Amino acid sequence: MKADAPRVASGANITIDGLAKRFGQVTAVDHFSVDIAAGEFLALLGPSGSGKTTVLMSIAGFEFPTEGSIRIGGEDVTYTPANRRNLGMVFQKYTLFPHLSVLDNVAFPLKMRGVSKPERHKRAEAALATVRLAGYGSRMPNQLSGGQQQRVALARAIVYHPRVLLMDEPLSALDKNLREEMQLEIKRLHSELGITVVFVTHDQAEALTMANRVAVLKDGRIQQIGPAPELYERPANLFTAGFIGEMNFLPGRLAAAGKTPSIKLDAGPEWRLPAAALIDTPSPGQSVVATVRPERVSLGSEGAAGAIPVRVQDVVYAGAAVLLIGVADCGTELRARLSGVSEVADLRPGDMAHLVVPPEAVLLYAGAAAA
Amino acid sequence: MNPRLDYGRLFLNAYVYAVLAFVLVPIAIILPMAFSEPSYLTFPPQGFTLDWFSTYFGDSRWMAATWLSLRVATLTAILTAVIGTMATYAMVRGRRGFGSVFQVLLMGPIVIPHIAIAVSLYMFLSAMGLLGTMFGYVLAHTVLAMPFVVFTVAAALSRVDADLEAAAMSCGASRFTAFHQVTLPLILPNVASGGLFAFIISFDEPVVSFFLAGIRDKTLPRMMFDDIEQNLTPVIPAVAVILTLASVAIIFGTALLRHRAQRMQAIGREA
Repeated sequence: MKADAPRVASGANITIDGLAKRFGQVTAVDHFSVDIAAGEFLALLGPSGSGKTTVLMSIAGFEFPTEGSIRIGGEDVTYTPANRRNLGMVFQKYTLFPHLSVLDNVAFPLKMRGVSKPERHKRAEAALATVRLAGYGSRMPNQLSGGQQQRVALARAIVYHPRVLLMDEPLSALDKNLREEMQLEIKRLHSELGITVVFVTHDQAEALTMANRVAVLKDGRIQQIGPAPELYERPANLFTAGFIGEMNFLPGRLAAAGKTPSIKLDAGPEWRLPAAALIDTPSPGQSVVATVRPERVSLGSEGAAGAIPVRVQDVVYAGAAVLLIGVADCGTELRARLSGVSEVADLRPGDMAHLVVPPEAVLLYAGAAAA
Repeated sequence: MNPRLDYGRLFLNAYVYAVLAFVLVPIAIILPMAFSEPSYLTFPPQGFTLDWFSTYFGDSRWMAATWLSLRVATLTAILTAVIGTMATYAMVRGRRGFGSVFQVLLMGPIVIPHIAIAVSLYMFLSAMGLLGTMFGYVLAHTVLAMPFVVFTVAAALSRVDADLEAAAMSCGASRFTAFHQVTLPLILPNVASGGLFAFIISFDEPVVSFFLAGIRDKTLPRMMFDDIEQNLTPVIPAVAVILTLASVAIIFGTALLRHRAQRMQAIGREA
């Protein structure tokens, strides 16, 4: 069994340089460059229409870019047809061939490569075992559940040991429990096979859990690329800040720049912040937005330094934490995830509360908060 | 079910049965006449004999016409199935805009009166020196039967997920192999049923064949027409019986093929 398991193949590195794709007037992808290391798991994350699928399809060879180049393992494949790229691909829909048995589906890439029938059936069985579907070979695709079908598609994509595995929202058709199970399954396969994975998703939790690095896309451009903690702890711009996780946006004006910048919030208090809080470099007097994660906000007493007075709008019990939603005088909404249930026990909608934020939890961006 | 009498439904039922009667009664009348003993067409039929069938099978002129029709229909079926499938694939899976122009052109023969097509084909094929040749018949019938293949194959193709071919290509299949290994097996029953339909269209096509016929080589419908003018014997209903049975068998065959194909294609689209 172990001997039949796919040998640890080394993945290929992918270099995308200045990729652009225009459909008539519409620019789907613009100035997209990224170096994906061999064996890396990269997630392309973005809302629909952000160009993430176009990037994936360009790597796969189903779209040819208007500009730029794509190299896989050092070889320029920008205009190589899809079938000569030797990549594994899993699609959003279950794309098993309905007229072929599960085993013949998995063996299909080997058949295309001229592998003899006994040999390809043996290797297809091994690939099915890798996705924990040993013994399902003789079934037809319609006799399998959605999750099983997607696992067969995964087996079909890895059966010939490709150096790169491309996945286009492969789990979006599955229900939540199955999706989480499959996420772990794919992660396990990734570390087992040492294959380079490019994974498209619009689900930020999925991207953060699975990938080594996440590229956040909007309007065909990379907004930020980095490991999950970096994206979450230090978003490069307001879009990423709002797209990944929950975030409070507090508009204000920069009062002083320099080593200890300070900001006058529309919501009332003036804050002194560490220099590291400045993501952009605004000048004094300019509009800025201070951001803070709801889980870093806590409840303070009246008159606490830097506290923001809010009127409580709602207190939502959410198991491990309580979500307090308050509105400041200026109309800005503030959310706090509070772990201590007792301290908010007496708060009712309409009450006043004072929210405090540690200065090191604040990041400062130039510009105005998006509505 | 409905406590009150539903006059609308009653009228609809009556209308449907009337239409069915108009379609079926002539067939019901002609069929028994094939077994009638007198050597002229009579209704109601008198006596019972199979002589007219043996006359038909024994007459070299009838047999020659039948064989010509069979050969023409078979070649038409093959040619329409192949060309029709290729054209439909380009239409359904190709770039938009381009497809709709071809769709109109391919569907033309349904809209344009056969007599108009017959005249233009007559002039065209006579200029080509193909009048009365088998090749000429096949060309003409292929034009006429094309819409029926395009209809069936287009319906089938739109049920088969285009991503299946992308998946096959990502597995290393060329564009052609992807079509041949994945899409074609899934639509083959519909292609076959379209071909059988083309066979029927060709086999009993009278108008265009009438124009294209030479003195020697006549298709079966043309031969029947000549025979009605000259002899009017019960051989005609006998041939009609045979043609009807063959058509019914073929129609059942195509229905069966389509049913099987739809089950398979539905599976492919479940996602």
